[in-house]
Amino acid sequence: MTMLREVAAELIGMFVTERRLTISVLAIVAMVASLVHVIGVAPLFGGAVLLLGSLILLVESVLRGARPAG
Amino acid sequence: MAWFTALPAVSAAFLASLVEVVEAFTIVLAVATLRGWRPAAIGTIVGLTALAGVVLLLGPLLARVPITSLQLTIGVLLLLFGVGWLRKASLRAAGVIPLHDEEAIFAAETAELGAQQPRVHRSLQWVAAITALKAVLLEGLEVVFIVIAVGAGRGLLLPASLGALAACALVLAAGAVIHRPLSRVPENTLKFGVGVMLSAFGVFWTGEGLGIPWPGQDLALLLFAGLFLAAGLLGSSLARKLSLEFA
Repeated sequence: MTMLREVAAELIGMFVTERRLTISVLAIVAMVASLVHVIGVAPLFGGAVLLLGSLILLVESVLRGARPAG
Repeated sequence: MAWFTALPAVSAAFLASLVEVVEAFTIVLAVATLRGWRPAAIGTIVGLTALAGVVLLLGPLLARVPITSLQLTIGVLLLLFGVGWLRKASLRAAGVIPLHDEEAIFAAETAELGAQQPRVHRSLQWVAAITALKAVLLEGLEVVFIVIAVGAGRGLLLPASLGALAACALVLAAGAVIHRPLSRVPENTLKFGVGVMLSAFGVFWTGEGLGIPWPGQDLALLLFAGLFLAAGLLGSSLARKLSLEFA
């Protein structure tokens, strides 16, 4: 059971390195899906939002990691 | 199959596997040094068999999933995985978090195994085999995910698997020659590179899954990789300055 728990923790840890980054990336994907399929914006605009959003989230997350906690 | 599609997939699988296999090798070597090659080999073989089982189970299942759903799911997972690795590698490159130290891990693992004093010799062998099994299984899970993720969306499962196997062979050959932890592998640079490639694949396939026609099709991957590399380097450089300010 301990090993199964460790495998499960490893699997979750693979995609949730930092909770805020994970939630933000998922939010960007959901936003792009809504923009393209619900609002009907040009798909390429949605693609640009996805790409630039991911890049900005990455830099922001690295900078947040460099600040002292608290 | 275009080389600029296959090459990033095979390279990502090879480099990611190199990082993970080096980490697993350190622990297996600690087991072998302290308790002999038998428990280390048994643990490794059982771990590799379990991983092969995961691939054999997931392979046919993935073939039944519609391609757009598969690309979207794998794309999002790759993006999460890739930016996670890139974030960690950027922070390590900036000196904010310590680099992965194979010598220190080897020493810690050897000390931990050495501290165990069960009543019978057989228990010692059992604990050692489980330690090797866990190392192979936990590190191997990431390799399996990367191989499936970069390979499944474009029918590149075989080349990606060969890339991963080549990394295993390289680490085992190097390990057999030097009999020490492979501490001189530039692990963070490799992690940085893999993070860049996986993030690029992640954005590309998430977009394809959402019906976004990327200009230049597969060539867009190169642009995405360049942008993630620039973002990672920028983040790392700014993080270094920020950590010095707070020091």
